[in-house]
Amino acid sequence: MSGSDKEAVGGEAAEGRAFVPSRRTVLVLGAAAASTVITVRPALAQTAGSVLNCEIPVPGPHAGGNYIAPDGNLVPPGTQGAAPPLARPLRGEEARQLLRGNTPPGVNPQSAQAYANYIRRLQSGMSGFTCYASLQMPR
Amino acid sequence: MRHRLDIQIGPVAFRIGSAWKEPLDALARLYEPYPAPRDGLSDFTVRLEPEKPWRRFIRPSVAIKGDYVLPDAVPMALAHGLLAAEMGMNLQMALGQKRYLLLHASSAEKDGRAIIMTGESGAGKSTLAALLGERGWRLMGDEFALLDMDSGRLLPFPRAVSLKNGAIRVMEAEVEADRFGPRLEGTPKGDIRHMRPNGEALDRMGEGATPALILFPRFGEAQAIRAVGAAEVFMRLTQASTNYVNLGGRGFDALNRLIAANPALAIDYPDTDTAVGLVEDFWRELAA
Amino acid sequence: MAGPRYVADPEDLVRVVELDGLSALFHEPSGMTHIVAAPAPQILDMLRAAPADAAELLRRLRACYDFEGDEAAESIHARLEELETAGLVRRA
Repeated sequence: MSGSDKEAVGGEAAEGRAFVPSRRTVLVLGAAAASTVITVRPALAQTAGSVLNCEIPVPGPHAGGNYIAPDGNLVPPGTQGAAPPLARPLRGEEARQLLRGNTPPGVNPQSAQAYANYIRRLQSGMSGFTCYASLQMPR
Repeated sequence: MRHRLDIQIGPVAFRIGSAWKEPLDALARLYEPYPAPRDGLSDFTVRLEPEKPWRRFIRPSVAIKGDYVLPDAVPMALAHGLLAAEMGMNLQMALGQKRYLLLHASSAEKDGRAIIMTGESGAGKSTLAALLGERGWRLMGDEFALLDMDSGRLLPFPRAVSLKNGAIRVMEAEVEADRFGPRLEGTPKGDIRHMRPNGEALDRMGEGATPALILFPRFGEAQAIRAVGAAEVFMRLTQASTNYVNLGGRGFDALNRLIAANPALAIDYPDTDTAVGLVEDFWRELAA
Repeated sequence: MAGPRYVADPEDLVRVVELDGLSALFHEPSGMTHIVAAPAPQILDMLRAAPADAAELLRRLRACYDFEGDEAAESIHARLEELETAGLVRRA
């Protein structure tokens, strides 16, 4: 986000008044993909560690033994390239590490990206969603 | 509930109920000098409950319930019941506080003026405030700061300080043993020990202060200090507030008055003593 | 073909505070707060005065400001979309 001003001074004589220089400012409209509006959202992330002891099962109980593809979707067990379910749920702090691109202890680094993408795909109502939402910090 | 304890912390009264005696005994010892709420009225209720009825006895685990709850919350071991009570109180504040703008920040006061220190968990704001509280400042709070939106004053919330890992040793070196709760090991937040604020902080828990400095401390870095621009301060404080979005125009005006009136600094420091030095230096300059 | 016309709420419904280089806006009808950078405040001023579609808005902006580069039309559409998503402008 940025704006910048440059001034080019021209001049005109306004009726009945002394010569008043007019200024034209450069207005930066920004690239199409730029972001000039940030909306303040409800924020639990900073306090999450103090209020919520949470876990994210990867995958959740609905998964029925399915594995996790690198893009985070559920796939049949044993699908090539897919990660197996985690033996125990991730603690909030471990999930945060995964989302930052790190591998928490006890997690296979080859599978880390699959697990991270699974978490990112969590939706409201799915097991672990509130925990995930509480880990979010804004852009 | 089977067991009950009422505690007043600054302007907020809590009722904590528990299916087990042990966590409330520990809480009562930690909060022994605190006043009981007037007329037995409470603002928020916390309940420590077994997740299932038989879990009161078999591998007992404590679910944190109360006026406000969060789904996905995982029960805690009974040995960590004191921490569960603390988290329960935090949760009520985070989700239920409407009267004051709630900032996730520590604060300390000197000569009627207050520093507000905010940052993520682990950034060092609690330890820094606790240490200032032993070095001539009055500790107003280690976790939450309450901004009165009408007067612009900061109100204290001097709960027991939640010290984590290395910070425990730092404060054990400065503070007498009877102000500490039990050492809780292997909690979801690591090793925890609670420390009661000193007599002055408790005696003056009804007394607010005028904000004078906004600080963004970061522990564990080489010493550095920089001014923080108003837009960044605004953004960070809205993220540090759990109730800003619910307070509408009053919150917007109050936050902007706070920012317009006070300098904001980000300080990085390798240890808390260095941080105290930086704060004292800047405070002297401010006063001059 | 003219696109949709947009309008912004009157001044008394939007509180604006200048921070360093950015503006904090409180939009009373929605109760929401936004932090915005140029050209958002300038666009809101224009659309507050009278509704306009993207082409008309661009004309009004050109009358007061100089632009850099030649992607003004694309930019304006992107800015309007952002402002509409935020609820700060709506279709007239």
